[in-house]
Amino acid sequence: MKGKQYALLGLFLVSTLAAAKTPVVELEIRNHLFHPEEVRIPANTKVKLIVYNRDATPEEFESYELNREKVIMGGRKANIFIGPLKPGVYPFFGEFNPKTAQGRVVAE
Amino acid sequence: MHIEYGRFLFILCLLPAAARGDGSSIDKVYHPYVEQLEWELEWRLTHADENPLTGTKGEQKHRFGLGRAVSEFVFIEGYLIAEDSAGENFDLAAYEFDFLWQLSEQGEYSLDYGLLLELEKTHNEDVWEFSTTLLLEREFGRFSGTANLGVEYEWGEGIQDEVETSLALQTRYRYSPRLEPAVELYTGEDTLGVGPVLLGMERLGPMKALRWEAGAIFGLDSDTADYTLRAVLEYEF
Repeated sequence: MKGKQYALLGLFLVSTLAAAKTPVVELEIRNHLFHPEEVRIPANTKVKLIVYNRDATPEEFESYELNREKVIMGGRKANIFIGPLKPGVYPFFGEFNPKTAQGRVVAE
Repeated sequence: MHIEYGRFLFILCLLPAAARGDGSSIDKVYHPYVEQLEWELEWRLTHADENPLTGTKGEQKHRFGLGRAVSEFVFIEGYLIAEDSAGENFDLAAYEFDFLWQLSEQGEYSLDYGLLLELEKTHNEDVWEFSTTLLLEREFGRFSGTANLGVEYEWGEGIQDEVETSLALQTRYRYSPRLEPAVELYTGEDTLGVGPVLLGMERLGPMKALRWEAGAIFGLDSDTADYTLRAVLEYEF
Protein backbone atom coordinates (compact mmCIF):
# COMPACT_ATOMS: atom_id res chain seq x y z
CA MET A 1 0.00 0.00 0.00
CA LYS A 2 1.39 3.38 -0.97
CA GLY A 3 1.62 6.38 1.35
CA LYS A 4 -1.30 8.13 -0.29
CA GLN A 5 -3.50 5.09 0.22
CA TYR A 6 -2.47 4.90 3.91
CA ALA A 7 -3.41 8.57 4.25
CA LEU A 8 -6.81 7.95 2.65
CA LEU A 9 -7.39 4.93 4.90
CA GLY A 10 -6.43 6.99 7.95
CA LEU A 11 -8.75 9.78 6.87
CA PHE A 12 -11.56 7.29 6.38
CA LEU A 13 -11.01 5.76 9.82
CA VAL A 14 -10.88 9.14 11.52
CA SER A 15 -14.05 10.27 9.78
CA THR A 16 -15.73 6.96 10.64
CA LEU A 17 -14.74 7.27 14.30
CA ALA A 18 -15.93 10.87 14.35
CA ALA A 19 -19.23 9.83 12.80
CA ALA A 20 -19.56 6.93 15.25
CA LYS A 21 -19.62 9.38 18.16
CA THR A 22 -22.81 11.00 16.93
CA PRO A 23 -25.96 9.10 18.00
CA VAL A 24 -28.30 8.34 15.13
CA VAL A 25 -32.09 8.48 15.31
CA GLU A 26 -34.29 7.46 12.39
CA LEU A 27 -37.75 8.65 11.56
CA GLU A 28 -40.06 8.32 8.60
CA ILE A 29 -42.57 10.40 6.72
CA ARG A 30 -45.52 8.25 5.65
CA ASN A 31 -48.88 9.54 4.40
CA HIS A 32 -47.69 13.05 5.30
CA LEU A 33 -47.13 12.11 8.95
CA PHE A 34 -43.92 11.78 10.94
CA HIS A 35 -43.29 8.36 12.52
CA PRO A 36 -42.59 8.54 15.39
CA GLU A 37 -44.05 11.91 16.21
CA GLU A 38 -41.90 12.23 19.28
CA VAL A 39 -38.14 11.77 19.12
CA ARG A 40 -36.29 11.49 22.41
CA ILE A 41 -32.61 12.37 22.39
CA PRO A 42 -29.97 12.99 25.05
CA ALA A 43 -29.60 16.63 26.05
CA ASN A 44 -26.35 18.45 25.34
CA THR A 45 -25.42 15.93 22.64
CA LYS A 46 -25.29 16.35 18.89
CA VAL A 47 -27.62 13.86 17.17
CA LYS A 48 -27.95 12.81 13.55
CA LEU A 49 -31.55 12.43 12.42
CA ILE A 50 -32.04 10.28 9.34
CA VAL A 51 -35.41 11.15 7.88
CA TYR A 52 -36.84 8.76 5.28
CA ASN A 53 -39.58 10.15 3.10
CA ARG A 54 -41.69 7.11 2.14
CA ASP A 55 -44.20 9.29 0.28
CA ALA A 56 -43.94 9.98 -3.44
CA THR A 57 -44.05 13.74 -2.92
CA PRO A 58 -41.41 15.97 -1.37
CA GLU A 59 -41.64 17.21 2.19
CA GLU A 60 -39.68 19.75 4.15
CA PHE A 61 -38.54 19.10 7.71
CA GLU A 62 -38.75 22.49 9.35
CA SER A 63 -38.21 23.80 12.84
CA TYR A 64 -37.36 27.34 13.89
CA GLU A 65 -36.62 26.06 17.39
CA LEU A 66 -34.06 23.61 15.99
CA ASN A 67 -32.89 26.13 13.37
CA ARG A 68 -33.30 23.57 10.58
CA GLU A 69 -34.98 23.51 7.17
CA LYS A 70 -34.42 20.56 4.90
CA VAL A 71 -36.34 19.39 1.85
CA ILE A 72 -36.58 15.61 1.46
CA MET A 73 -37.59 14.48 -1.99
CA GLY A 74 -40.15 11.69 -2.39
CA GLY A 75 -38.65 8.24 -1.80
CA ARG A 76 -35.38 9.74 -0.53
CA LYS A 77 -33.74 10.31 2.84
CA ALA A 78 -31.94 13.23 4.43
CA ASN A 79 -29.44 13.63 7.23
CA ILE A 80 -30.25 16.40 9.70
CA PHE A 81 -27.81 17.20 12.48
CA ILE A 82 -29.36 18.76 15.57
CA GLY A 83 -28.02 19.87 18.92
CA PRO A 84 -26.37 19.93 21.34
CA LEU A 85 -29.72 20.95 22.85
CA LYS A 86 -30.63 22.03 26.35
CA PRO A 87 -33.33 19.87 27.99
CA GLY A 88 -36.68 20.81 26.52
CA VAL A 89 -39.24 20.22 23.77
CA TYR A 90 -38.48 21.38 20.22
CA PRO A 91 -41.39 21.16 17.75
CA PHE A 92 -40.92 20.44 14.04
CA PHE A 93 -43.32 20.15 11.12
CA GLY A 94 -43.54 19.35 7.43
CA GLU A 95 -43.87 22.58 5.51
CA PHE A 96 -45.86 20.99 2.66
CA ASN A 97 -48.38 19.43 5.08
CA PRO A 98 -48.14 21.55 8.23
CA LYS A 99 -51.55 20.50 9.60
CA THR A 100 -50.76 16.80 9.65
CA ALA A 101 -46.99 16.43 9.58
CA GLN A 102 -46.05 17.55 13.08
CA GLY A 103 -43.64 16.22 15.62
CA ARG A 104 -41.30 17.14 18.42
CA VAL A 105 -37.81 16.46 19.64
CA VAL A 106 -37.55 15.94 23.38
CA ALA A 107 -34.07 16.53 24.74
CA GLU A 108 -33.67 15.01 28.23
CA MET B 1 -18.82 25.05 24.00
CA HIS B 2 -17.17 28.14 25.48
CA ILE B 3 -13.81 27.07 24.07
CA GLU B 4 -15.39 26.61 20.62
CA TYR B 5 -17.06 30.02 20.85
CA GLY B 6 -13.77 31.62 21.90
CA ARG B 7 -11.94 29.97 19.00
CA PHE B 8 -14.59 31.15 16.52
CA LEU B 9 -14.38 34.73 17.81
CA PHE B 10 -10.58 34.60 17.72
CA ILE B 11 -10.62 33.53 14.06
CA LEU B 12 -13.14 36.22 13.20
CA CYS B 13 -11.04 38.85 14.95
CA LEU B 14 -8.02 37.87 12.87
CA LEU B 15 -9.86 37.98 9.56
CA PRO B 16 -10.26 41.77 9.25
CA ALA B 17 -6.50 42.13 9.23
CA ALA B 18 -6.44 40.10 6.02
CA ALA B 19 -9.42 41.82 4.44
CA ARG B 20 -8.74 44.65 2.04
CA GLY B 21 -11.02 45.53 -0.86
CA ASP B 22 -11.74 48.40 -3.25
CA GLY B 23 -14.95 50.48 -3.12
CA SER B 24 -17.75 50.05 -0.62
CA SER B 25 -18.24 46.42 0.26
CA ILE B 26 -21.43 47.05 2.26
CA ASP B 27 -24.03 44.76 0.70
CA LYS B 28 -25.44 41.76 2.51
CA VAL B 29 -24.21 38.77 4.50
CA TYR B 30 -24.70 35.42 2.79
CA HIS B 31 -25.47 32.19 4.64
CA PRO B 32 -23.99 28.85 3.55
CA TYR B 33 -27.31 27.07 3.02
CA VAL B 34 -29.45 26.00 0.07
CA GLU B 35 -33.12 25.10 0.27
CA GLN B 36 -33.87 22.54 -2.40
CA LEU B 37 -36.72 23.34 -4.86
CA GLU B 38 -36.64 27.02 -3.90
CA TRP B 39 -37.14 29.90 -6.34
CA GLU B 40 -36.40 33.41 -5.24
CA LEU B 41 -37.20 36.92 -6.42
CA GLU B 42 -35.00 39.52 -4.77
CA TRP B 43 -34.69 43.28 -4.53
CA ARG B 44 -31.72 44.67 -2.67
CA LEU B 45 -30.80 48.29 -1.98
CA THR B 46 -27.86 50.14 -0.50
CA HIS B 47 -28.03 53.90 -0.01
CA ALA B 48 -24.90 55.79 1.06
CA ASP B 49 -25.33 59.35 2.30
CA GLU B 50 -22.11 60.52 0.64
CA ASN B 51 -19.23 58.69 -0.99
CA PRO B 52 -16.13 60.25 0.66
CA LEU B 53 -13.90 59.23 -2.27
CA THR B 54 -16.00 60.87 -5.03
CA GLY B 55 -18.16 63.33 -3.10
CA THR B 56 -21.29 61.83 -4.68
CA LYS B 57 -24.33 62.29 -2.48
CA GLY B 58 -27.16 59.81 -2.12
CA GLU B 59 -25.45 56.99 -3.98
CA GLN B 60 -27.85 54.07 -4.42
CA LYS B 61 -27.38 50.59 -5.78
CA HIS B 62 -30.39 48.39 -6.60
CA ARG B 63 -30.13 44.68 -7.34
CA PHE B 64 -33.01 42.79 -8.94
CA GLY B 65 -32.43 39.06 -8.78
CA LEU B 66 -34.05 35.81 -9.82
CA GLY B 67 -32.64 32.65 -8.28
CA ARG B 68 -33.29 28.96 -8.14
CA ALA B 69 -31.97 25.95 -6.22
CA VAL B 70 -30.84 23.56 -8.95
CA SER B 71 -29.93 20.75 -6.56
CA GLU B 72 -29.82 19.91 -2.86
CA PHE B 73 -26.64 21.94 -2.45
CA VAL B 74 -26.46 24.45 -5.32
CA PHE B 75 -28.34 27.73 -5.76
CA ILE B 76 -27.88 30.01 -8.76
CA GLU B 77 -29.07 33.57 -9.16
CA GLY B 78 -28.89 36.25 -11.85
CA TYR B 79 -29.01 39.98 -11.10
CA LEU B 80 -29.56 43.24 -12.90
CA ILE B 81 -27.78 46.02 -11.01
CA ALA B 82 -28.92 49.63 -11.32
CA GLU B 83 -27.50 52.77 -9.75
CA ASP B 84 -28.61 56.31 -9.12
CA SER B 85 -27.63 59.23 -6.94
CA ALA B 86 -28.75 62.76 -6.13
CA GLY B 87 -29.00 64.55 -9.48
CA GLU B 88 -28.37 61.38 -11.50
CA ASN B 89 -30.95 59.21 -13.21
CA PHE B 90 -31.67 55.61 -12.29
CA ASP B 91 -29.69 53.57 -14.81
CA LEU B 92 -28.62 50.00 -15.52
CA ALA B 93 -25.06 49.58 -14.25
CA ALA B 94 -24.08 45.90 -14.35
CA TYR B 95 -25.11 42.25 -14.61
CA GLU B 96 -24.20 39.54 -12.14
CA PHE B 97 -24.38 35.77 -11.93
CA ASP B 98 -24.08 33.98 -8.56
CA PHE B 99 -23.36 30.33 -7.81
CA LEU B 100 -23.81 29.33 -4.15
CA TRP B 101 -22.55 25.90 -3.13
CA GLN B 102 -23.44 24.47 0.29
CA LEU B 103 -20.41 22.41 1.31
CA SER B 104 -21.57 20.79 4.55
CA GLU B 105 -24.81 19.76 6.23
CA GLN B 106 -25.94 22.34 8.73
CA GLY B 107 -24.65 21.42 12.19
CA GLU B 108 -22.55 18.47 11.01
CA TYR B 109 -19.20 20.06 11.86
CA SER B 110 -18.13 22.80 14.27
CA LEU B 111 -18.58 25.27 11.38
CA ASP B 112 -21.00 25.16 8.44
CA TYR B 113 -19.27 25.81 5.12
CA GLY B 114 -20.35 27.23 1.80
CA LEU B 115 -18.78 28.83 -1.25
CA LEU B 116 -20.14 31.74 -3.25
CA LEU B 117 -18.85 32.41 -6.78
CA GLU B 118 -19.91 35.70 -8.40
CA LEU B 119 -19.27 37.00 -11.92
CA GLU B 120 -20.16 40.64 -12.65
CA LYS B 121 -19.89 42.64 -15.85
CA THR B 122 -20.32 46.40 -16.02
CA HIS B 123 -22.99 47.51 -18.51
CA ASN B 124 -21.57 48.86 -21.80
CA GLU B 125 -17.98 48.66 -20.53
CA ASP B 126 -15.25 46.04 -20.69
CA VAL B 127 -15.04 45.76 -16.91
CA TRP B 128 -15.35 42.35 -15.26
CA GLU B 129 -15.17 41.10 -11.70
CA PHE B 130 -15.00 37.54 -10.42
CA SER B 131 -15.16 36.83 -6.73
CA THR B 132 -14.89 33.77 -4.55
CA THR B 133 -16.31 34.04 -1.05
CA LEU B 134 -15.99 31.50 1.73
CA LEU B 135 -19.17 31.38 3.82
CA LEU B 136 -18.87 30.21 7.42
CA GLU B 137 -21.59 29.93 10.03
CA ARG B 138 -21.99 28.56 13.52
CA GLU B 139 -24.79 28.40 16.06
CA PHE B 140 -24.35 29.38 19.68
CA GLY B 141 -27.71 28.52 21.19
CA ARG B 142 -30.12 31.15 19.86
CA PHE B 143 -27.24 33.16 18.40
CA SER B 144 -25.75 32.57 14.96
CA GLY B 145 -22.40 33.92 13.81
CA THR B 146 -21.68 34.24 10.08
CA ALA B 147 -18.53 35.25 8.21
CA ASN B 148 -18.12 35.98 4.47
CA LEU B 149 -14.47 36.11 3.43
CA GLY B 150 -14.08 37.14 -0.20
CA VAL B 151 -11.33 37.46 -2.78
CA GLU B 152 -12.18 39.45 -5.94
CA TYR B 153 -10.33 39.83 -9.22
CA GLU B 154 -11.13 42.75 -11.54
CA TRP B 155 -10.05 42.96 -15.16
CA GLY B 156 -10.88 44.50 -18.52
CA GLU B 157 -10.05 47.41 -20.83
CA GLY B 158 -11.78 49.94 -18.61
CA ILE B 159 -10.11 49.02 -15.35
CA GLN B 160 -6.72 48.25 -13.91
CA ASP B 161 -6.43 44.54 -13.18
CA GLU B 162 -6.27 43.95 -9.46
CA VAL B 163 -7.04 41.53 -6.68
CA GLU B 164 -9.06 42.66 -3.68
CA THR B 165 -10.41 41.09 -0.54
CA SER B 166 -13.40 41.76 1.65
CA LEU B 167 -14.95 40.55 4.85
CA ALA B 168 -18.47 40.71 6.24
CA LEU B 169 -19.52 39.48 9.68
CA GLN B 170 -22.94 39.06 11.19
CA THR B 171 -24.06 38.11 14.68
CA ARG B 172 -27.78 37.35 14.74
CA TYR B 173 -30.14 36.58 17.60
CA ARG B 174 -32.93 34.21 16.59
CA TYR B 175 -35.64 35.88 18.65
CA SER B 176 -38.55 34.80 16.43
CA PRO B 177 -39.07 34.02 12.72
CA ARG B 178 -40.62 37.48 12.25
CA LEU B 179 -37.87 39.43 13.97
CA GLU B 180 -34.18 38.72 14.36
CA PRO B 181 -31.90 41.55 15.51
CA ALA B 182 -28.33 41.42 14.25
CA VAL B 183 -25.10 43.40 14.17
CA GLU B 184 -23.01 43.46 10.98
CA LEU B 185 -19.49 44.54 10.21
CA TYR B 186 -18.07 45.17 6.72
CA THR B 187 -14.45 45.74 5.90
CA GLY B 188 -12.43 46.27 2.72
CA GLU B 189 -9.84 48.70 1.35
CA ASP B 190 -12.35 51.57 1.25
CA THR B 191 -14.81 50.22 3.78
CA LEU B 192 -14.93 49.86 7.51
CA GLY B 193 -18.42 50.00 8.92
CA VAL B 194 -20.59 48.46 11.57
CA GLY B 195 -24.23 48.75 12.47
CA PRO B 196 -27.54 47.19 13.50
CA VAL B 197 -29.72 45.18 11.15
CA LEU B 198 -33.17 43.67 11.60
CA LEU B 199 -34.23 40.53 9.72
CA GLY B 200 -37.55 38.76 9.46
CA MET B 201 -39.67 36.28 7.58
CA GLU B 202 -43.39 36.08 6.93
CA ARG B 203 -44.66 32.67 5.85
CA LEU B 204 -47.21 32.89 3.05
CA GLY B 205 -47.87 29.17 2.51
CA PRO B 206 -46.03 25.95 1.64
CA MET B 207 -42.67 26.96 0.15
CA LYS B 208 -43.83 30.57 0.00
CA ALA B 209 -42.30 33.20 2.23
CA LEU B 210 -41.34 36.84 2.28
CA ARG B 211 -37.98 37.61 3.85
CA TRP B 212 -36.76 41.09 4.63
CA GLU B 213 -33.66 42.76 6.00
CA ALA B 214 -33.14 46.41 6.93
CA GLY B 215 -30.20 48.08 8.58
CA ALA B 216 -27.86 51.02 8.89
CA ILE B 217 -24.09 50.60 8.66
CA PHE B 218 -22.06 53.46 10.11
CA GLY B 219 -18.63 54.29 8.72
CA LEU B 220 -15.71 53.92 11.11
CA ASP B 221 -13.04 55.58 8.94
CA SER B 222 -12.74 58.52 6.55
CA ASP B 223 -13.08 56.36 3.41
CA THR B 224 -16.48 54.96 4.38
CA ALA B 225 -19.78 56.82 4.06
CA ASP B 226 -21.01 58.18 7.39
CA TYR B 227 -23.97 55.88 7.06
CA THR B 228 -25.19 53.35 4.53
CA LEU B 229 -28.75 52.13 4.66
CA ARG B 230 -29.35 48.66 3.34
CA ALA B 231 -32.51 46.70 2.65
CA VAL B 232 -33.44 43.33 1.15
CA LEU B 233 -36.82 41.96 0.13
CA GLU B 234 -36.99 38.35 -1.02
CA TYR B 235 -40.01 36.41 -2.18
CA GLU B 236 -39.37 32.69 -1.94
CA PHE B 237 -41.59 30.26 -3.78
